[in-house]
Parts: sequence; C-alpha cells; structure tokens
Amino acid sequence: MEKSFYLSVISVTSVVDRFFAGNQEHAMKRLTTILGYTVAVLTIVVAVVGPMFWFGFFSRAAAKTSLRINPTYTGGEPARTIARDAYQIVIYKPVPKRAPLSATGSFVQIVWKPASALPATVSEPLDLDGDGRPDCEVSFQAPRDPKVKLLVSVKPLNHLVKPMNAVSKDSFASLIARVNDTIVVRVPLR
Amino acid sequence: MPDTAPMSASDLPRGIGRSILLCVPMALFTLLLFTPVIQQPGRPAKLAALVTWVFMIALFFLMMRTRETYRWRRVFFIALGFLFPVGFIWDLIALRSSMSIPLERMLSGDTPFCFMVIPMTLVPAALTKTIIFPGSILPTPSNPHSIAMMVALWLLATVILGKAWCSYGCFFGGLDEGFSSIARKARLRKINPRWRLAPWAILVAIVLLSAATFEPTYCMWLCPFKAVTEFPQVRSTQTAIQFGVFIALFLGLVVVLPFLTKRRTQCAFFCPFGAFQSIFSRTSIFEVRIDKEKCGSGCLLCQNNCPTMAIDQESIRAGKTLTSCMRCGACIDVCRKDAAVWHIKGTPVGLKPERARLLFLYAGWLFATMFGGSIIAHSLERLIGLVM
Repeated sequence: MEKSFYLSVISVTSVVDRFFAGNQEHAMKRLTTILGYTVAVLTIVVAVVGPMFWFGFFSRAAAKTSLRINPTYTGGEPARTIARDAYQIVIYKPVPKRAPLSATGSFVQIVWKPASALPATVSEPLDLDGDGRPDCEVSFQAPRDPKVKLLVSVKPLNHLVKPMNAVSKDSFASLIARVNDTIVVRVPLR
Repeated sequence: MPDTAPMSASDLPRGIGRSILLCVPMALFTLLLFTPVIQQPGRPAKLAALVTWVFMIALFFLMMRTRETYRWRRVFFIALGFLFPVGFIWDLIALRSSMSIPLERMLSGDTPFCFMVIPMTLVPAALTKTIIFPGSILPTPSNPHSIAMMVALWLLATVILGKAWCSYGCFFGGLDEGFSSIARKARLRKINPRWRLAPWAILVAIVLLSAATFEPTYCMWLCPFKAVTEFPQVRSTQTAIQFGVFIALFLGLVVVLPFLTKRRTQCAFFCPFGAFQSIFSRTSIFEVRIDKEKCGSGCLLCQNNCPTMAIDQESIRAGKTLTSCMRCGACIDVCRKDAAVWHIKGTPVGLKPERARLLFLYAGWLFATMFGGSIIAHSLERLIGLVM
C-alpha cells in the first residue's frame, strides 16, 4: 500500500518535472495558455448548459432566502382580519419610514375584500394598532364600475393618524386603489 | 462604424464549406432552443421563430465567412434594440391599453423587472433584506419577468460575456447603435474624454440616492428607455416632470447625439449599468488586446472607430482597451495590421486571434440567440400576426 503510494507520487512529480523542463517562464506561459483555453471552452459549456438548469436553480435558491419586496410596495404583513357580513377587512402591520430621504412616510395598509361585496358607501371606525380603541374613521364610495375614480377620507380619532380628505393616489403612503377584487387604502401615520 | 476595407491576408474570406462547417454546431444547438417555439400552435409564432433562427444563423455564417464581427453583430443588435420596444409596448397595450404603469399594478407586484435596477437594489437589500422594486421575487402568471429570473439571467450573462453584455445582450443598446449608424460621417467630432467618467458618477449617485430614499432613483427619474417601454402613470406634477425627463433624455442621448457623433452616447456617457458591468469586465476570459509590435504607426483607426471611446493613445501604448470596452469588435475589424485582436486571458497576445474570436463568438452568439433571439422572435410574432 505504502509502496504504491510512493510510486504514484513519483510518477506525478516526474510529469510535473517534464512539464517544467527547460525554461520555467516558458512552462508557465504554456500552463496559463492551457488554463486560458480551458476556461474559454468552459464558458461555452456554461452558455450551452447554463440556461437548462440555472434559472430553476436560482429561483429555488431565491425562494429560500429571506429577501422580500419592500413593504412600501406590498403594504407589509397582515396583522389581523375583521370579518363583516359579506366582506372582510384586513389590517396590516404599520410600515415605518425606513430611509432618511424617502418621500414615503409611515403608513398602515387596510384592505377590503371582496370589493364586489362592499356596500355603496363604506364608513367605519377602525382600530389600527390593536389596542381595542378605534384610531380613525375611514370612508369612501365603492362603486361597482371599476373605472370610476375612488376617493378616500380619513378622520383621525387620536394623534396616531394623519387626516386625509378626498384623496385618490397621492403617494404610496396615502392612497386608495382597486387591486383585483380588493380595495386598498393606505392611511398615513404621524 | 469601420470605414476601411480589410487589408491583411488573415482578413481574406473563409471558404464557404469551412464557414458552413463552423456554423453547424451553432445551428444545431440554437435549433434545439427554438424547437419548442416552432412547435407552438399558431402560424405567426412558428414563422417568427423560424425567421429569427435563420436570421441569427445567417449572421453567424457571415461572421465566419467574412471574419468580421462588428458589422454582423450590429445588424443583430439594432434589430434587437428596435424590436424589443415593439413587442413590449404591444403586450402593454394588450394588457392594460396604455404604456403607463398604473399604481394598482405596482401594488400587486406586476411591474416587469429590468436589469438596470440591479445596482440600485444592492445597498437596501443588504440593509433591510428587501428589494426596492414593485415587482415579484419569483415569476407569477401576471409577471413572468420576475426579479429572480432577471438576476439569474444577468449573472449568467456576466459569466459568459462580462462587459460584452452591452454589445450582445442589452435590449436597449441597439437603439443608440442604430441611430449612430445612420449618418455617414460624424458631425460632432470633438468629445471631451472626461465624459467617459459620467456613467461612473451617475452610478455612484443613483446607488447613494437609492440607499437614502429606498426608491429606484434611476428608473424614476433618469432612464431614457422609459420613453419606449413603460413609465409611471402621469397623475401629478411630479410624474409629469418625470415623463418629460424620460422623453428629453431619450431624444438627446439615444437619437440626436448618436446621430451627430456616430458614438453610442447613451451607453458610453450615461448608462450607469454599463459602468456597473465594467466592474465585471475582468471576469470574462475574453478580451480585446492591441499587439504593440504590430501596431506602431499610430494610425488611430481603432480609437477613431470605437463607438464608446474605449481606446485612447495611452491604452494603445499599454496594449489594452479601457474597462468600458464592450467587445463589439469595431477596432479589430478596422485594424489594417491585425494589431487589435481577440484574446483569451492567459494566452500570449496575438496567438491565434481567430481561434480566440471563434471561442468568444460561440459563447457570445449562443447567449445572444437564446436571449436576444427570443425577444426578436416574440416581437416578430406580434408583427407577423398583424398581416396573417
């Protein structure tokens, strides 16, 4: 066993010796040339094989990371759901202002769904922070025609919420929008 | 852009038989790629895929036959640049009857992700593990152009092409290359070389601003290509100004200045993604080098014909191109002494440059056909559908 190991080491070193025989600089050039062509050929292999596996692999890897879309766009995570007779109100966790120069201030997203089940006029006091007391009163018209412009008003019931008066889509922090069969309202926070 | 005929013996046309033989691997593999599209129901889709495949292989054949790269690559790249907006706008109009992105679609994560956003997302992603873009991480039925897919594509392109992405992959660059190819002579010749630093300045500015605002600043305020793709719905003074800026930048940087200078002005003097990609210029095994022994006369044809001013006298003396070199091949095709050559890192400069070119083109053209070809086929399908 030991003898065969030494024999293999000797054979490997003799190959290396032969490679570097003569001018060492020349041998290094030869080595880098071989490496260069090997990588060039591998690049072609990547171009051929890569598209078959890479996208699926990368998507699976991306799904496993904790990376998410910024809550300025998604509205953050739902905190609790209030069930009404024909519809539900989902109140999201507050989204704080995260960047120093961000034009979007902190807000809470509220979603009414399904929009098709809403009464013609919605006006209700809502508890945004979950302390059992209403923080604001949100009111808007909910017409069946999706092309009709939506306007929302928010009357603060304490210092937590900023008022909104007939707002449509002012900014990501104060808006009302119809998204699929839901109505999304974002209430700006102080 | 090259304005002189090839002179050296190595620039003589390759035999037709040999050229066809060199095309066979490319033709077979790309046919495999296009087969699923050709088998799709509907004559426009079949025809578009077939036309695109023939177009790409015909260009590759001409590259093999004439030993020229730039002229034929430019045909593909301009076709890509002009056809991409056609298909994209077509889909937008079909989907929502408008080129503008309604806020509702941003809220539902349906904005297609663009590679231009990548540099801006890095700092906020590192700080908060969130992506500052109103798209979706994974593909959805309403948004197949997800962030994961585009980042994966960019990584693949960076490994295969490095900075050559800007000449073989970018679906915007063909527009200013197209407008720079219209005039026979440049009307504006003197350009201060310091303008080459502008993309770096813009890159730094947008990365810092995006980190400070958590908004994709470049997309919101500076991207000229918003004018021919999609832009935020005009619903306030701010969005009206943004729209005006997009139009002005597009007309200035992509239409007028390329026409006057015969340079890719948007790519060379403005595009922050180009600067970002220059960082990965060194990751590719393929590069363009200048054989100092063969050069010598100082004819400066390479410098004068570079569409992005990526060669200057200092770089010629150093035997290299600048990091902004997009491997378009203009300098190589125009060089009468074969001093500007394709090169594989690690090998001696000037050692079988045609072999280096072939290896680069096999990798680059495969990617170009897979990515750019599929975009061309998609847009052609829409256009063929109009008449069939």
